[in-house]
Amino acid sequence: MRIVIVGGGIAAVYIANSLMERASELEVVIVSQEKHPPYDRIHLCKLLEGGNRADMIALELHPNVKLELDQKIISIDPHSKRVFSERAAFHYDKLILATGSVPKSLFDISGIENAATFRSQGDCERIAQGMVGKNVVIVGAGPIALELLDTLMRSDAPQSITLLVRKNYLYSEVISREALALIQGIFEADKRVRIQFNDQIIGKEISGNTITRLITSQREISNPFLIFGVGIDPNIAYARETLECSKGILVDERMRTSDENIYCVGEAAQLRAGEFIAGRVKECTLQADVAIANLLGDESKTFSEEVSIDGLKVGSFLFADVTATDFDPKESGNETILISHRDRIDQYIVNHDRLKRFIGINTNIDLLALKQLIQTDAPIDASYLYSNRLMSKYGRLVCSCEGVHELELVEIIKENAVTSFGELKEHSKAGRTCGRCKQDICAIIEATPVDPQEAARLKAEKAAAAQAAELEKVRARIEKYNRLHPLNQLNPKNFHEALKSFEMSREFNRWVSMITASMHLHPQFEESVNEAVMQLNKIPIIWLELSDCTGNSEAFIKTSHPKVDDLILKYISLDYHELLMAASGDQSESVLESILHNDSGKYLLIVEGAVPLGLDGKFLRIGPKGETGIDLLRRVAKDAVAVIAVGSCAYDGGVVAAAPNPTGAVGVAEALERNDIINLPGCPTNPINIVGTLLQYIMFDEFPKLDSRNRPEWAYGFRVHDNCERRGHYDAEEFVLEWGDEGAKKGWCLFEMGCKGPYADLNCSLVKFNEGTSWPVQAGHGCFACGQGKIAFDSYANNRKLEVENEK
Amino acid sequence: MKNTKKIVIDPITRIEGHLRIEVEIDENNIVTEAWASGQLFRGIETILKGRDPRDAGLIAQRICGVCTNVHYRASISAVEDAYEIKIPHNAEIIRNLVTLSLFVQDHVVHYYHLHSLDFVDITSALNADLSKAAAEADLWSTRPYHNSATHLEAVKGKLEEFVKAGRLGLFANGYWGHSAYRLSPEENLVHMNHYLIALQIQRELSKAIAIFAGKTPHPQNLVVGGVTSVADMLNPQRLNDFLFIIKEVRDFIERAYIPDIMMLINAYRDSIGAGEGRTVGNFMCCGGYRFGKDQQLFEGGVIKGHDFETIEPFDPDKITEEASRSWYENDAPLSPYEGETKPFYTDLNDDGSLKTEGKYTWVKAPRYDGEVMEVGPLARMIVGYAKNSPVIRPYMERFMKRTGVELIDFSTTIGRNAARAVEAQICCDYLFDTMSDLIENIKYYDETTWTKFVFEELQSEARGAGIFEVPRGVLGHFVRIEDAKIANYQAVVPTTWNASPKGVKEGRGAYEESLIGIRLADPSAPLEVLRAVHSFDPCLACAVHVIDMKGRELSQYKIASVCSLG
Repeated sequence: MRIVIVGGGIAAVYIANSLMERASELEVVIVSQEKHPPYDRIHLCKLLEGGNRADMIALELHPNVKLELDQKIISIDPHSKRVFSERAAFHYDKLILATGSVPKSLFDISGIENAATFRSQGDCERIAQGMVGKNVVIVGAGPIALELLDTLMRSDAPQSITLLVRKNYLYSEVISREALALIQGIFEADKRVRIQFNDQIIGKEISGNTITRLITSQREISNPFLIFGVGIDPNIAYARETLECSKGILVDERMRTSDENIYCVGEAAQLRAGEFIAGRVKECTLQADVAIANLLGDESKTFSEEVSIDGLKVGSFLFADVTATDFDPKESGNETILISHRDRIDQYIVNHDRLKRFIGINTNIDLLALKQLIQTDAPIDASYLYSNRLMSKYGRLVCSCEGVHELELVEIIKENAVTSFGELKEHSKAGRTCGRCKQDICAIIEATPVDPQEAARLKAEKAAAAQAAELEKVRARIEKYNRLHPLNQLNPKNFHEALKSFEMSREFNRWVSMITASMHLHPQFEESVNEAVMQLNKIPIIWLELSDCTGNSEAFIKTSHPKVDDLILKYISLDYHELLMAASGDQSESVLESILHNDSGKYLLIVEGAVPLGLDGKFLRIGPKGETGIDLLRRVAKDAVAVIAVGSCAYDGGVVAAAPNPTGAVGVAEALERNDIINLPGCPTNPINIVGTLLQYIMFDEFPKLDSRNRPEWAYGFRVHDNCERRGHYDAEEFVLEWGDEGAKKGWCLFEMGCKGPYADLNCSLVKFNEGTSWPVQAGHGCFACGQGKIAFDSYANNRKLEVENEK
Repeated sequence: MKNTKKIVIDPITRIEGHLRIEVEIDENNIVTEAWASGQLFRGIETILKGRDPRDAGLIAQRICGVCTNVHYRASISAVEDAYEIKIPHNAEIIRNLVTLSLFVQDHVVHYYHLHSLDFVDITSALNADLSKAAAEADLWSTRPYHNSATHLEAVKGKLEEFVKAGRLGLFANGYWGHSAYRLSPEENLVHMNHYLIALQIQRELSKAIAIFAGKTPHPQNLVVGGVTSVADMLNPQRLNDFLFIIKEVRDFIERAYIPDIMMLINAYRDSIGAGEGRTVGNFMCCGGYRFGKDQQLFEGGVIKGHDFETIEPFDPDKITEEASRSWYENDAPLSPYEGETKPFYTDLNDDGSLKTEGKYTWVKAPRYDGEVMEVGPLARMIVGYAKNSPVIRPYMERFMKRTGVELIDFSTTIGRNAARAVEAQICCDYLFDTMSDLIENIKYYDETTWTKFVFEELQSEARGAGIFEVPRGVLGHFVRIEDAKIANYQAVVPTTWNASPKGVKEGRGAYEESLIGIRLADPSAPLEVLRAVHSFDPCLACAVHVIDMKGRELSQYKIASVCSLG
């Protein structure tokens, strides 16, 4: 698949690198109108500080990304899937537009040599050369204008600098008078600087291609160099004919434009449901992530605006800004609370007891805490703000994208003996999302002395403390468990006696080790696992079969470590399981009733099979009264301590819900309308994953960490493809091309034969099936991502590559 | 209808799927009428319609997770038959190795884990005298399996410990102490010993299956045209692993399974003599599984009314299906659009019981030549014996001589289990022969596992069938292809035959018929009913299928030699 990205900034590079990381077989092309390779616009100011600093702001690009420079895109033809520059045409399968914005100017400055906007590397070169000995006039009052002013002040080149402000504030209309005075004072301490409020250009004299004199409503400025820093418009002229646009290119919450193969992110994009978002790199990368996910087929990701955090280091002072998504400066209920001390000002804007915005100067408040305060929409009062004005215990926030504070950073630097920004990479992502704080971080690294020996000591100390805390937690949970289950008769003393009598202690120990390892726990946890195993058989388990094929039960009885006989006799109390239980009919019903009654709130429910909702649930009836499957499920799930959905059918209907879903089947979570069902999809589910999940419950009195689909991360946090034994052949491009060919005999990669390993998240490639005997890839067939649920049976259960891949 | 009483048993546990049995008993607690009802409908065939025929296997496989490999295979064979693709000999052998391993695994799990608790009283086993138990086992085998007094002591201890711990788990609320339990405490202990070992045996067998099939349940090694596990086939270590697992399993079957069945026969001679669990005596087999030079494992043929002298050849054209008592629209006129009949659910009575006068099950009623048939190991062993099969007859004769049972005695609840055990033994030996065939093939440089075809060049309209003997009886998958897509799909499954409801004509399905005349010692604990039904090894997920009007005349499907009809 060929993906073309139009744009030359952070967004374009971020997208290209992320794509290469996730799917290296893709062909990715960046088409940029700039003459320079992509660079970091945020740090443009550095260029003005003299010297050749271009490489300082250059962005790192994956070597396999193709780069087309100096190609300004002028139109798109979505039918033939091409974009055109004046000189060339580029074919795409998917197109991502990240063209950002164009700076505004108040009049046409093309052809004039002593006027510029401030947006590109070219602009910087012009300003650096042109401002020497001139009276520089910067028009604007926003962050860009202020940062520019700050940069120019540090240069001796300009004779004077005037900041021309149309209204009576700097930075934002809501800024406090105190803050304004503070900022103005800091700037105007430089005698060359003058800030003129309520002023604008009303006339100019031009001779040839030079402005000789500027006339403002307050005075005249001769020998000027004029820079516009007044704002931006989305750069989308090339797209207006083909795509739906308002101010920006309109996109849905998946960042898709009106054409399904074209995505747009960053300042060029405008959400249908909202505004376009300017100048916020974090949002831009979030949007990029959404576009990438959708482009690769994961439609579950959508973008929604978050509370924004902005930090700006301007010369001798520090700006911090946290803004709620619904902040409206014109809202009449806005009130300002100001807490100031010397050159520090904390300004809170509150509306009906809710924090809507924070602007801080030289503040050391924990901005992440404020962000959370806004997100949770909790009421606040002034005394709370006052008492929390003190420094967060980690110092000031350095990287707002990753939420890294200064002292945390110092700790990381010391512990890992970090001496350069490059070395920091493996320990922290700080400074690598928007890059705005990179220079700041470099300064902190430089200022922090490191000692490798001390670093090692610190590291060990910290690891020990973390482990001790974790073990303590486990012990506390096991204690709690014992309190909750007083009938538990086993204890370490008689347990070992019991083990001896079964001649199975070795088997048992192997199982404990295996579980400890497969749950990614430190060997030190073995003892805790050991204790947990003792508890297992005291938890009643009900296993319901609904619209199923019994495949998961069949798989379950093939479990080893422990052997299934030990498992059902010793470790768990499988009280109701239609496949295996002795009792039938009335007798089995009364078993069920007795668990529901006597063990209410204690028993675990495992469900196998989909839940048919069609025909009022009557496609499935169970028991002497002919109860429907859904009614039985509801009744039994009600007082279960937890519900585990085993297999792909219980997950989302699986094969039973495949098109056209004749019985209206759904998964357990959907049938119960609950979001706390633990899902263990697979067709069938590997028994290791069932046993491991049960064990975790006993150990921690809670279930393992779940992902967004409620699947345990320890089992589902892997892509089959990434851990595949044939992965080396994929990387070497050695593919089976026909069943039984030479490649098949040698065990080459099955991707070309339609293996869906790249689309499957499961640990099959790590644990295999039937005691590690084999798995579908080893059998030469390939994976069909059976654990992804019903989509597997509609889209993956075949021996062909996915359509998108075929286009390649 | 005077003095009769209706008993509802739902769920029937220790089977695959959702089965209900209702019986009517008279004042002497004798069963006078019975109804078997499948209580789940999924509609896998509907899901298959419109899909690429090459993809049918992976979906059809999900018809059942117990008979998991056989639907996969029958489905892919049906498509191969439609396109007249002949698979390489190696591929057929690999498929047979997997299918026949599944036979053995299914039979072992069926007897010990799904069925034996109908005969074995676990609480009685706790009273067993250990040395007496060891001696008891010696009666039925020269080398009984894991039978030392010390081993039995450990087993007994394990059970005691389990019972003492208070939670009986799976064994809670069984019919313990019921007068229909006949085995002595010692015999019960020997059985429980094997119950536990059999759990390991079935796990070992599943490893054997996984060697060539990737995993089980739901193997993944077949494609239209052959098999994919060529690398495993060419790996001597894998072949060796397979053989040694089968060797271990055969040991278990000969030294535990067969002797246990003999022990059972001995305890239930009166039940056999009374013909408990006997159906009308119609048996149907399609035969199959080639090996060696022109030999085949199973014979095809049809026997009616226990007439072992007259064996008709099996003719698939004589299979018809109806649904007058099943929850489908069957009285709709033949549709010119070839649409499938829709589910037509007439519900249960208000008290949750079956509407026994009308439609009462999701299972449809297949008939052969208009007659109800019984399929499965019993049918295969009887037909094989009656046709003098050189493969089957010697094993049957040996067993009959040792136990003193006649051929007719197999047609009972106990006999059905005996037939299944003998079949497991035969299958194990067949696996060795088939493995020799494979090694012979590879030795002479035939490494082909797939027959090449270009899908786009195949005819866009075709029809075909895959018909096999599978653990529970005769399985047929039928596919009709139009525009290179599946236009219609149908599976006629063993349990559909055995769990068949009544039809328009007089007569009951096999489960129903087997129950008539059985006397219940205690109607509130209908152990005798469970026992008879379990002896068929019900598999309900398989049995429930959408019926297609076109499917009523299966003769329109071309039945090719690919399924090795006998």
